[in-house]
Amino acid sequence: MKRKLIFVTAIMVAIPLYAQADAVSELQAKYQTQSAGPFSAKAGEALWNKKFIDARSGKERNCTVCHTTDLTKAGKHVRTGKVIEPLAPSANPKRLANVEKIEKWFVRNCKWTLGRACSAQEKGDVLAFLKNL
Amino acid sequence: MLTRTKEPRVDKACRVKVWDVPVRLFHWILVSCFITAWLTLDNRYLDIHVFAGYVMGGLIVFRILWGIVGDSYARFRDFAFGWREAWNYMTMVLKRWPTRYLGHNPAGSWAIYLLLGLGLLITITGLLGMGGEERQGPLAGLLNYPQGESVIYLHEVLSWVMLGTVAVHLTGVATESILHRENLVGSMITGYKKAAQGTISAPPRRLVGTLMLVVIVAAGFSWFYGYLIETPEQPYRPFTGRQLPDNALWREECGACHLAFHPSLLPVRSWKAMMEDQSSHFDEDLFLEQEAIDKIETFLAENAAEQALTEAAWKINRNIPKTETPLRITETQYWIDKHKQISDEIWRDPKVNDNVNCAACHLDAEAGTFEDAAMRIPAGAGKSSTGIIKGIYEKITCIFSFNSSPSSIFTNKS
Repeated sequence: MKRKLIFVTAIMVAIPLYAQADAVSELQAKYQTQSAGPFSAKAGEALWNKKFIDARSGKERNCTVCHTTDLTKAGKHVRTGKVIEPLAPSANPKRLANVEKIEKWFVRNCKWTLGRACSAQEKGDVLAFLKNL
Repeated sequence: MLTRTKEPRVDKACRVKVWDVPVRLFHWILVSCFITAWLTLDNRYLDIHVFAGYVMGGLIVFRILWGIVGDSYARFRDFAFGWREAWNYMTMVLKRWPTRYLGHNPAGSWAIYLLLGLGLLITITGLLGMGGEERQGPLAGLLNYPQGESVIYLHEVLSWVMLGTVAVHLTGVATESILHRENLVGSMITGYKKAAQGTISAPPRRLVGTLMLVVIVAAGFSWFYGYLIETPEQPYRPFTGRQLPDNALWREECGACHLAFHPSLLPVRSWKAMMEDQSSHFDEDLFLEQEAIDKIETFLAENAAEQALTEAAWKINRNIPKTETPLRITETQYWIDKHKQISDEIWRDPKVNDNVNCAACHLDAEAGTFEDAAMRIPAGAGKSSTGIIKGIYEKITCIFSFNSSPSSIFTNKS
């Protein structure tokens, strides 16, 4: 009985972890076919904190403007004040679990923050950085 | 003594109980309700305004009953004076030699009947208007928005007439107090008046008075109870609107970056224009699939401002010229008018963070209902929001600002 309980618990814990690992590695594999890789968490972190100047407003932008530097805590949309749930999978298991969602947010947020689309290498690096948080 | 009395003149005057406890309580609580109602014209205090209205209505109904079943001086029979008597009394006042009445004098009783009638009409129009414009209260939905608005206009006019009548009443009290050299205000507090010895006192009726107080305090407690148990995370909302149509996809996609602005806040043409140009959605690329766009657009169009799902929807839509297609709610005239009083300091406060974040002040922004009295400027936001003196000053200037109709109780005139 006890063993069964441990087994079920283990599976319940493992499923979201597996799904997440799956989405990230699936995307990274895809990026590799676009001649990117290997991916480095360190490069991802550097990009995460890198500052970009918005061409129109002249203001500094980077990922932490909304997501803050502590990804285990909620952030706040800099323009609208909307609360952004924590991005670290350890704090929010829903994160990095869905391939389409990850891609959608890369499109939106790279365009706003960097002023251009992110390269496959950049996206892979950022995922490598985020997945272990 | 300068005065003549109705009663047979006796050498020694004595103090006689004229106003029983229920009459005095009625008078002063009605006064408080009337003042409170005038000070709570701002939408934010609608719950207090409405409570004052309920108490006022209840008091007037009680007074009418008490005028029938009460005793001596409280009875209508005691001051059922005709118009001619009131007129005669007024001419006597002008000659500075009016008869002294122990109870209400003929002119005073006319003021009372007028005040009772006006108070009753104001309560009824308030209830009807709240049911029509706010969709709240026991008569919610009985009238539609335009009808509700007209009734509220009537409510305002009647309130001004009542204010005028109160002024006449006060002038009368002052005049009579001077002419008869007696303190009528004091009498309404203590219940006593000077009268000829042997004049019968009114029974105090303390039990009825206590009952009145108990009922009012209990009603107040149950009405405002929510404020006692609220937490910063869950502020009390005195009014909750009916559940508006919802859509999971809309809430997820539109609510990802900003408050999911309810479709009822803009007309169909605005939503269509917005969804057409999703690659430059206020400086962002939405990158939504066509299927998602279609679904969201359908939901937006089905519940747009034209449907008048809320008071705000109805008022936003009627003020947008048909030739215009606003892309921001904050561009609509109704929104602009309603937020005129918010200072730049408040907008700039980090807790408010500009005008995109409706939920900073509107507690029901997520639900889309935007009820009156569900608004609260975050504590400490902007420096001007503190200070009792300033608060009272603002309220008074609000009442006497004629530029926005006869002081709109639901400041929604446009």
